[in-house]
Amino acid sequence: MATLSPQSPNKYTYGFHVKEKYSFKSQKGLSQKIVKQISRHKKEQAWITQFRLKALKIFLQKPLPGWGSNLSKIDFDNIYYYIKPINSKAATWKDLPLEIKQTYDRIGIPEAEKKYLSGVSAQYESEIVYKSIIDSLKKRGVIFVDPQTAFQKYQEVFKPYFASVIPISDNKFSALNSAVFSGGSFIYIPKGVHVDMPLQAYFRINAKNMGQFERTLIIADEGSFVHYVEGCTAPIYSSDSLHSAVVEIIVKKNARVRYTTIQNWSKNVYNLVTKRALVEENGIMEWVDANLGSKLTMKYPSVYLVGKNAKGHILSLAFASNKQHLDAGAKVLHLAPNTSSTIISKSICKNGGRTSYRGLLQIEKGAVDSKSFVRCDALLMDEKSRSDTYPTINVKEQKTDIGHEAVVSKIGEEQMFYLQNRGLSQEDAQNLIVSGFIEPIVKELPMEYAVEMNRLIKLEMNGSVG
Amino acid sequence: MNELRINHLTAAVEQKTVIKDLNLIIKSGEIHTVMGPNGSGKSSLALTITGHPSYKTTPQSQIKLNSRNILPLSPENRARIGLFLAFQQPITVPGVSFINFLRFAKYSHNKTTNQTPPLKDFLWELKSCAKKLNISEGFLYRYLNENLSGGEKKKMECLQALVLKPKFAIFDEIDTGLDIDALKIVAGVINELAKNGTGVILITHYQRILKYLHSDKIHILVNGRIVKTGNSDLAFALEKTGYSVFAK
Repeated sequence: MATLSPQSPNKYTYGFHVKEKYSFKSQKGLSQKIVKQISRHKKEQAWITQFRLKALKIFLQKPLPGWGSNLSKIDFDNIYYYIKPINSKAATWKDLPLEIKQTYDRIGIPEAEKKYLSGVSAQYESEIVYKSIIDSLKKRGVIFVDPQTAFQKYQEVFKPYFASVIPISDNKFSALNSAVFSGGSFIYIPKGVHVDMPLQAYFRINAKNMGQFERTLIIADEGSFVHYVEGCTAPIYSSDSLHSAVVEIIVKKNARVRYTTIQNWSKNVYNLVTKRALVEENGIMEWVDANLGSKLTMKYPSVYLVGKNAKGHILSLAFASNKQHLDAGAKVLHLAPNTSSTIISKSICKNGGRTSYRGLLQIEKGAVDSKSFVRCDALLMDEKSRSDTYPTINVKEQKTDIGHEAVVSKIGEEQMFYLQNRGLSQEDAQNLIVSGFIEPIVKELPMEYAVEMNRLIKLEMNGSVG
Repeated sequence: MNELRINHLTAAVEQKTVIKDLNLIIKSGEIHTVMGPNGSGKSSLALTITGHPSYKTTPQSQIKLNSRNILPLSPENRARIGLFLAFQQPITVPGVSFINFLRFAKYSHNKTTNQTPPLKDFLWELKSCAKKLNISEGFLYRYLNENLSGGEKKKMECLQALVLKPKFAIFDEIDTGLDIDALKIVAGVINELAKNGTGVILITHYQRILKYLHSDKIHILVNGRIVKTGNSDLAFALEKTGYSVFAK
């Protein structure tokens, strides 16, 4: 249950940055030379360099998507595609440079670590600098590394699956990520292993005009379970930043993966992310995707149900205020019999913000007895804000069961009066109604994230009045 | 001793005058019952006193809590100085647990005296009040008024009144939707509130609830005006005559 603290929140503490200190910074812009430079810096094998160069070519050929929001203002030549902050990875918290520690102190990582004492993988800029995995996980055969280490030490595990769920040419931004990816997490969970505590990654953007292109690949082998959590807060800068990640997940037979995101990029970031999971027989994939920050987000976590009885669940939350556009949603493809899916989307827009739900539900011929339920709720806080729904439902099999509900509501005068009659101020009453609206998603978050989420929503609600 | 004094109250909603030059004085511990036919202005009176934004009053109108004119105050400030309305149709707020909501409400009331109730004390008080109303603990953790029957909602309204301890409480048709056992319990709780000093305005259609509590005065409201005031005998007489004798 989300806790509710009646005190008013402190001022926004995430809009800060520490002095930049980098061991290597690429030139601005994108070229073969820069891609080769990145690859050389990471001491990559020839096949990865070739992969990157091929991706660059595809990126340059592909036009910007003609749907969604306006991307034409992204100046691809004015972005740093690779920055390496320090020379070597730190093994423990103590070894981290003071600057980085200060940054994490302010977003409360030591506390999170004290509580969890496991699986914290903090990503500073493009490179993982700190990682601690408890020994028991290692002993059970769990691999949790950055891509560079994955290619150097565990190539036979990861290479067959790398770019198999999201091919380079999937879209312009998956191609961009494939060309310049750096940082991220590669995870392998062996057969039958249940990872009880969530694996966590924190990362942030902390340099002007820098792009962040992390790459994540999770393989959950048969009968295994893992919960991966990523949360991010970012400093505020005046010039536009680009974040474009690729996340691929393979859920083997009888396995279950939950992937939780709290996205709170600063309000100048283009957040264009491709996330997709392939689910085999009896497997379960759960995306919990909360988006608060960024200038523009386009993100539609996807589930391909390829094995019979496979399940996909997507919980999506978007909060847009002042000039933000969050175009979020979900995609589910039913490709086998008796598969089922649910999509729950909640969005709030305020003070001129815009949220769009964009969803695809596709049931292929032969996916008999498949079930799907989609629900989109939007809450409009004022007349200046906007909310749209773009659901696409494509059913090629007759023997299926599909439900779809969409509700757009405003905060009612009667609701407000009831709460005010109990002594709550207008502001508190609004906050309470909003916190109730998002409760079905917040209650799925790990405890400290739920607390942080409520705090962030409160900041958004009260910090951007007028 | 507190006093709620209503002087020359005239109020309109959507340009329609619904309360006409109404006068009423209620003191701590008194129970005043307001009866009247449908559409006579009973709920309008409740909403005007508690400050619903749709109800506009004339400049001559006055509602005073002790010596303070409350008409310029916002609904939350009226609540904080001790006014409470048990709604005829309590509003649902999905996703907000009753317990969180009420603690927040209690805290908002205490803001004026700068006292934050410790969670332990709050829970103890809430649970003992719930017991009086025969509300099982599970209800306290449910979302505010969600998936409750009409009668259960009314009991939850009473529970809020017990915890918030208002100076003056208005119960708008608290007796509708209650079975006979619940009716007795609710009447008992209203009696207890009055005994502890809360002044009560009880709005009802039926004299049924008056069998279980002592009402100091009965007011008959017709067409926005109090047309007759009497003791509880008046309510029982009404049973026979109906309102038609007043509707001239």
